[in-house]
Amino acid sequence: MKGLNQFIVDIRNSKDIEEEKKRINLELNNIQSKFNSNINSYQKKKYVCKLIYIYLSGYADSVDFGLKESFQLVCSSSHSEKQLGYLALSVLINNDKSTQSTRDFLDSLLDQVHSYLIKDLQSSNEDTNCLAVQFIASNFNLPESTTVRVNEADESAPKWLELIDIVYSFVTSPIHKSVIKKKAAIALYSLLKLYPQVLISNNNWIPRLLSLADDKDYGVSIASIPLIQFVVKSKPQFVKAIIPAISLKLYNIIIENKCPEEYYYYKSPAPWLVVKLLQLIEYFFFLSDTNDYAVLSIADLDEQTLNNLRSVVAQSIQNASQPIKGLPNRNSQSSTLFQAVSLAVFLDASSDAINGAINALMMLLTSNETNTRYLALDALIKLTARSTSNNLSASPSIDEKYTKIFKLLYDRDISVRRKSLDLLYTITNASSYSMVITKLLDYFPLCDFTLKPELAIKIAVLAEKFATDSTWYVTTMLKLLSISGGVNSNGTNYIGNEVWERIVQIIVNNEDLQKKTSKLIINLLKKPFSSTDNTPIALSENLIKVAAFVLGEYGDQVTYMSELSTKLQFHLLYDAYFKVSLTTRAMLLTTFLKFFVKYPDEDFIPEIMDLFEIEELSLDLEIQTRAHEYLTLATHKYSQQLFKEVLKPMPIFVKKESHLMDRIGSVSHIVGVNRSKSLVLAKNISSNKSKAARGIDSSPILDENSDGSNPFEEESKPVVLSPNWYSGYHRMLHYDAGIFYEDQLIKITYRVIKEGCALTLKLTIINNSAKTAGTDITGLTVLNLESLTDDHDPNYVLNLKQLPESTFHDKANMEISVKIRNVVENHESPILSITFMCGGSFNTLNLKFPVLLLKTLTSTALNGLDEFNRRWAQIGELLGPQGESSQAVNLTHRYNSSNIVRLLSRLGFAVVHATSDETDNTILVMGAGILHTQKTNYGVLATLKSTDQVGKEFEVAIRCSGGGVAEVVAITMKEILEGKF
Amino acid sequence: MSIKYLFLLSRQGKIRLAKWYDTISQKEKGKITRELSTLILSRRAKMCNVLEYKDMKIVYRRYASLFFIVGIESGDNELLALEIIHRFVEQMDKMYGNVCELDIIFGFDKAYHILDELLLDGYIQESSKKEVLRRVGQQDELENMDELDQILA
Repeated sequence: MKGLNQFIVDIRNSKDIEEEKKRINLELNNIQSKFNSNINSYQKKKYVCKLIYIYLSGYADSVDFGLKESFQLVCSSSHSEKQLGYLALSVLINNDKSTQSTRDFLDSLLDQVHSYLIKDLQSSNEDTNCLAVQFIASNFNLPESTTVRVNEADESAPKWLELIDIVYSFVTSPIHKSVIKKKAAIALYSLLKLYPQVLISNNNWIPRLLSLADDKDYGVSIASIPLIQFVVKSKPQFVKAIIPAISLKLYNIIIENKCPEEYYYYKSPAPWLVVKLLQLIEYFFFLSDTNDYAVLSIADLDEQTLNNLRSVVAQSIQNASQPIKGLPNRNSQSSTLFQAVSLAVFLDASSDAINGAINALMMLLTSNETNTRYLALDALIKLTARSTSNNLSASPSIDEKYTKIFKLLYDRDISVRRKSLDLLYTITNASSYSMVITKLLDYFPLCDFTLKPELAIKIAVLAEKFATDSTWYVTTMLKLLSISGGVNSNGTNYIGNEVWERIVQIIVNNEDLQKKTSKLIINLLKKPFSSTDNTPIALSENLIKVAAFVLGEYGDQVTYMSELSTKLQFHLLYDAYFKVSLTTRAMLLTTFLKFFVKYPDEDFIPEIMDLFEIEELSLDLEIQTRAHEYLTLATHKYSQQLFKEVLKPMPIFVKKESHLMDRIGSVSHIVGVNRSKSLVLAKNISSNKSKAARGIDSSPILDENSDGSNPFEEESKPVVLSPNWYSGYHRMLHYDAGIFYEDQLIKITYRVIKEGCALTLKLTIINNSAKTAGTDITGLTVLNLESLTDDHDPNYVLNLKQLPESTFHDKANMEISVKIRNVVENHESPILSITFMCGGSFNTLNLKFPVLLLKTLTSTALNGLDEFNRRWAQIGELLGPQGESSQAVNLTHRYNSSNIVRLLSRLGFAVVHATSDETDNTILVMGAGILHTQKTNYGVLATLKSTDQVGKEFEVAIRCSGGGVAEVVAITMKEILEGKF
Repeated sequence: MSIKYLFLLSRQGKIRLAKWYDTISQKEKGKITRELSTLILSRRAKMCNVLEYKDMKIVYRRYASLFFIVGIESGDNELLALEIIHRFVEQMDKMYGNVCELDIIFGFDKAYHILDELLLDGYIQESSKKEVLRRVGQQDELENMDELDQILA
């Protein structure tokens, strides 16, 4: 477009801002008049382009028209006009956002563009679809923190729903190209953030969305990560379903080097995807459910998954420890390293692994690249702050490491200097504190002005936290104060008031320190620390402040020594008086009044009086007031009683928290800073490793909606079981091996292994489609293993021992172990949810399998029928109706005695009595067994008696040594016999 | 874990390209660009490419006369952000053929286009260089077709 080029050249050639403005105003008028006249679509395009350029050049306020033309462009059939139309819309509509609330803005935006978007989304042209999806993704996005939500009741809800449905279909449809899937995944994320309810009411969406992480196309994987993160955040129970797939993907990329050529970045395979996936897993560890329990712990991961993740972390660390050529290569390897190290702590890695990580990072500290040094420090801070045992300070050759870090305090770049200071702060412990503090004090005079306040506070906090010797503490702190004299260019002190105030608090609260400090402070005032090399140092105001207070309050405790006499104390302070700032002078005036009261006979009293008189004329209101009041007090010789009231000793400070912590700065939110609770010289600092300290807000996203409209708290709908689930369930009730489920695509066979109260369920998943269609099963995921038992005191515990492979041709194995803890009610059987892809179709199976009390039955050999009858009567006596339950059973076909005997022995009963098949009399079969649970074992006696002549009606009577258990068993027996539920 | 904004700053302090992925008021945008411009232009060449700014991290890199500046969340991976910049530059380089500041000034539409195929709503959409360029190439072709149609009509 020539006109546009000319316009840009014109603007670039303008000599000054005035000329530029003139040119732009001219053009704006021109465009406006052109828009009012009749112009063709090319011209429209050109002028809209110019408008966008003007907007971008910083004249956003002047561009307040052109929307109509943009909409016309959007409707155009030509792709480039449509594209420009959308671009212009997003620029121009965004423009007047500031005047209205986000909600109003979104609604009006939706009103204006909805019909255009729907039209383009439904178009058969994929490029047109893309434009619309892209518009949605970039214009309906809200920062995660906003509380704007669409609710079902809203007027606009149907419109949103329409958009969401179409975008969702783009994401999941197998026929769309990956190019549109990628965009749609991000667009769907934007929309669902706005309208999370949709996700809740469409439970069946979740497995499909989760399977995106494992998409063959890496682009789709990487683009769907934010969406997956959002889904798992809303439905944390799915976290266990998705981790195996992610860890396998990582394993394949990092260890197996399976990565498509075009996703290599220089020599690293798909670094973006790897880092994002690592971040995602780390994020999962931070998630917590509504009860604030962490959703994921390593105990929840199966062996294979955990091993995959550990080897990925180990390999990433190893990769980065080797010399790598080329900057982009090094950067991408290091970025993977930092992400892996950050995850390592959660994987409960061995101390060897952590040490390996530390060594790799330490090596990077000497790198020539500033970035690497900076980020390695950052990673070390995270690593030490998160791991429970302070690995870094406990690791071998620690001195060498400290030396390395200290060296970085003198780095060229201030960012690195600051980070190394943060790291030192984090790793300092009870064994290294004095060395670190000494070094930091040496560093103080050389340190940058901007870093000094932080340094001072860190020294103060460390000293307070670890000090065991009070003299050492006071000496260190006074030294800090005396060398931190001087002011920066703004006239403020290097170190904040908090530091000296804290020292004073500690001295007031500890009597044994008072005398000691007085001595030390006098000596310091006489001979400042760094006067060794005879360079005059700036007088430290902070030191004078402490001195003013301490000598005024406790100076009398040391006057028995001649070199610390009152006279000397006074002169030291008096000499400093005119060299310090007004606030310090005010403090000194008070000190002098204290001296006046305490030592009325000393010969410096007139000097004090003179000072009060002079200062009565001070221009500063505070000083003038003090001087006047003190002078009046002093000249009128009031009674000692009054002075005592005026100069009451300082009361003990009660506030437990140190103000220093408010100023600790950048480390506090990365690091689980240990807040010292004890007032002084804390020896035991308990490490406070709370979630919050890890720096991630793990609260559920809708916390802010306290009006009960929180959709995530609603009971989720019960899982709908797959058709034909019952035959497998019923088979498993009495057979220990067989077919659990079968359809055209898949067959699942099972075997149950009993061992006391523990059951092992071995499932083999067989691909039925291999024979018929020759396709593989891919993306097989165990989505959920939902146990319906009580969460807090479960009657049984499920554990997924072995996960099936996600992709296979003929069969895959999985294993579930069950531990029966208590009497399991009949309705508590768990549901296994599996999803898989087969030839492009996405399938979900929800199958219930029996975890029943009766499954843990083993036979017991009773000594014949007599013993049986004796026990039977015994239970009847002991428990009465509690111990017995009987059920009438109607069978569909005839049973004879030996059928019943086989059935009972299959279930695990020992048959003690059975009538013969030959007789026409009533069939009577009796059996005994033991039920195992983790808590206790029960004896079970069963009697089956036919109540008709043909063997189709029976009465099942159960007696059991546990109250109420008989009923549970009887109902199970009835279900086994009748085959109905 | 998304990118919050990305802009290109010339050595003279002029914004050459800007993309905001967060809803930020115009005034605030102005403030951010002003503050970051002074901060970054005053840094020396050998300094670290990461800055802590407010509660975010700023990752920047200089290519010839242009600074590429990216704002990310403080918990995000800095080096990767740096390499996103590099990837973006690589792609532009391929597209324009030896990209320079003037290319971006005059062909700003194309630069935005490449960026849009690389990042969507602040999230990485596609990390493959080839794939992005293929998309952009396709779009160019479509545009040419449109123009051809127009001439023929």
